[in-house]
Amino acid sequence: MSENVLELNHIVKTFPGVKALSGINFNLRGGEVHAICGENGAGKSTLMKVVCGVHQPDSGEMVVNGKKETFSNPLEAYGKGVSIIFQETSLFEKMTVLDNLFLGHEITKRKGPISIIDYAAMNKKAEEIFQRLNTDIDLHALVNTLGMAQKQMCEIAKALTFNANIIIFDEPTASLTNREVDALFEIIRKLKSEGMGIVYISHRLEEIFEICDRVTVIRDGHYISTKDVDKTDKDELVADMVGRKMDNYYPKAETPIGEELLRVENYYDEGFLENISFHVRKGEILGFAGLAGAGRTELMQSICGITGKAAGKVYLNGEEIHCKNYVEAMNKGIVYVSEDRGKYGLIVDLSVERNISLPQLDRLKKALGKLDVKREKELGEQYIKDVGIKAPHGEFLVTNLSGGNQQKVSVSRALALDPVLLILDEPTRGVDVNAKAEIHKIISELTLKGLTIIMISSELPELLGMCDRIYVMKDGYIGGCFDRDEVSQEKILSVALESGKKAGEVQ
Amino acid sequence: MKKKNLSTEFYLFLFLLVVSVFLAVFAKGFYTVNNLMSILNSFSYILISAIGMNLIMLTGNIDVSTGALISVVALALAAIGKLGVPFAGLILAGMLMGAVLSTLNGLFITGMRIPAIVATLATTQIFQGILPLTCEGSIYDLPASFTWLSFEAKLFGFIPGSLIICVIVTAFFLVFARYSRFVKKLYAIGNNREGARLCGIQVDKTVVICYAIAGLLFGITAVIVATASQRCTTTMGSGMEMTFIAAVVLGGTSPAGGSGNLSGTIIGALILAMVAPAITYLGISSNWSDAVKGAIILISVVVSGARYLKRKRVIAGAAGGEA
Repeated sequence: MSENVLELNHIVKTFPGVKALSGINFNLRGGEVHAICGENGAGKSTLMKVVCGVHQPDSGEMVVNGKKETFSNPLEAYGKGVSIIFQETSLFEKMTVLDNLFLGHEITKRKGPISIIDYAAMNKKAEEIFQRLNTDIDLHALVNTLGMAQKQMCEIAKALTFNANIIIFDEPTASLTNREVDALFEIIRKLKSEGMGIVYISHRLEEIFEICDRVTVIRDGHYISTKDVDKTDKDELVADMVGRKMDNYYPKAETPIGEELLRVENYYDEGFLENISFHVRKGEILGFAGLAGAGRTELMQSICGITGKAAGKVYLNGEEIHCKNYVEAMNKGIVYVSEDRGKYGLIVDLSVERNISLPQLDRLKKALGKLDVKREKELGEQYIKDVGIKAPHGEFLVTNLSGGNQQKVSVSRALALDPVLLILDEPTRGVDVNAKAEIHKIISELTLKGLTIIMISSELPELLGMCDRIYVMKDGYIGGCFDRDEVSQEKILSVALESGKKAGEVQ
Repeated sequence: MKKKNLSTEFYLFLFLLVVSVFLAVFAKGFYTVNNLMSILNSFSYILISAIGMNLIMLTGNIDVSTGALISVVALALAAIGKLGVPFAGLILAGMLMGAVLSTLNGLFITGMRIPAIVATLATTQIFQGILPLTCEGSIYDLPASFTWLSFEAKLFGFIPGSLIICVIVTAFFLVFARYSRFVKKLYAIGNNREGARLCGIQVDKTVVICYAIAGLLFGITAVIVATASQRCTTTMGSGMEMTFIAAVVLGGTSPAGGSGNLSGTIIGALILAMVAPAITYLGISSNWSDAVKGAIILISVVVSGARYLKRKRVIAGAAGGEA
């Protein structure tokens, strides 16, 4: 191992009212991949924002490539070789790849008294970098025509245009498919072999064991431990992260499974869904696996009348239904919880109780259409208690809750509608380990109360742990269906990744 | 690979071609030198300001005070023009005043964090409100030095001076748009403000400079408009901002910012400059011209929107996706 390229000593950062980081130590060697893990809100992202100059620390010192540095903005950090690949890509969607790579530090040449952008030089450098990354993205394509993985490649290439030797990846795999993750890891290994220091932030512990050399755990803004990855295991890391040992991530309850609740036959929407038939029984947790873009979200939103317009038959309790819009579906007891709670779920600037009552303000009105505030409050208090939302009171704003608790509010809102069928789209995306287990527990308890659940998830362990049956989707059709006792990660993947061949109807 | 979409400019050009042929057949007298030069004159001042408006709209901002701003500058120009100031002085003064007033807009928007449409709506009222306080309706009997540009400055005796200014300005900005780092910053801000900040772009400063540059251009338009006659009224520029915004939107610039380019704006300005005279020559009441402009914009926005409709079916895309 070579020497440290990045050293953080006792970094402290306070935001008004919150001590986000209290004395974090961290060091990164050239040629290693060093993971930082911790629950949501532990301070990982804040720490990295300090490193790359988005935030300035209150105290503590930062040594970059042997020199003490303070960065007042990200560009200064880039200039000293520190680059960050943000969680949500920070690319400019409607600009070309080339423009994106060099934005803010375009190569210029002198033309008389003025300096102008030197496209030829930028082109040449970009091509070199793409060759190094072994990718063939069109430099003149607009970024919004690229896939998620390609966008990320652009981010990495952007870091390399700065000649970075320290690259920080903040949750890089959050929206990648398994195959894309493999390609990303390939690149990370290559960069590592070139002697770069890589900081890797991720919720997915499996990835840390696959790609990282060392791992540093932080909890509530405190430094907890740094370990060699091959000398630790998942349980130990989780124990460090949550501060106690966790024994059951997937507390699935044994529920009696009743008769058929929903049956979908020959569901078809040109270009998106092909001849889909499936059913779900009362009390079941039905999983939908598949790669991103396999059509799972499209299918569910279409059944709920959110996107509308598809051919095929849907039966609820044996009766044919056709939901023209989402309100109809809600009234029939089918409730959908979106994967993107920020954009299509919660209204974060409103209180917890208002968020929960929002879809049913109609049911909460008194004489003259006045809102029954008392009933709303009760509703809020009830779910804060039942679902275990960590909010001091119902008037607490959702924006101040952590991701996991926001997700609980989403679920509470759905539950307040008294659904018979709850469709959860990626219920634990972007949620930390602890909250994940809690959400799983809630889901499990719901089935005990007789609720039926359809769960879309990209995390196979979650599906395997929670579901009674799992359908696997691929390119808009159902490629297979597995029972709980016969399913395995390999079986699902082989269907999800299989190409070309189309499976017939699977019941 | 995706099928390549033909660019907005291509469709606009096609539209322009069809309209031109249509006018050749049905609008008698449309293609006379006089009429064409008059169209080119209005095209010139529309385009010069539309270039400025385009820069502003690329950043995701807007300016609805441009018309009032032009009124103010025009009247001020008339006041100094009455003293016999020559054209060079007028255009410098016009650009300077335009830049100062427009910079004010930029400062309101960035400094006080007021949405651009609200800030410029307020300045519209202020600009318009000041005018009646300074003079009664109009300044008239302006000297020949004042109207030099529109009456005497003609290349080969028939090409209006305004067109020459327009060609110079447009050529400059075509090069500027491609080779300056500044314009890249404008696109970046319109695409992703926070991302631009993280790239080390000083967003507020850039937006203010953008308004200042646009102001220079609005000032030039004010000079062309003001010097067209010997009388300058307090409402010279009223309503013009809508024509500029229309030219920009018609040219394919997204009102949300971040995309669109100058060549589209050029064609957009030309189409809008043709509407009013075309209607007159077709023998339709000129009262229809605003309605026709509106219809053209509506159709173009719908058509360009329709091309993207099929792209998205799901309301919730993957994280990081575009809404």
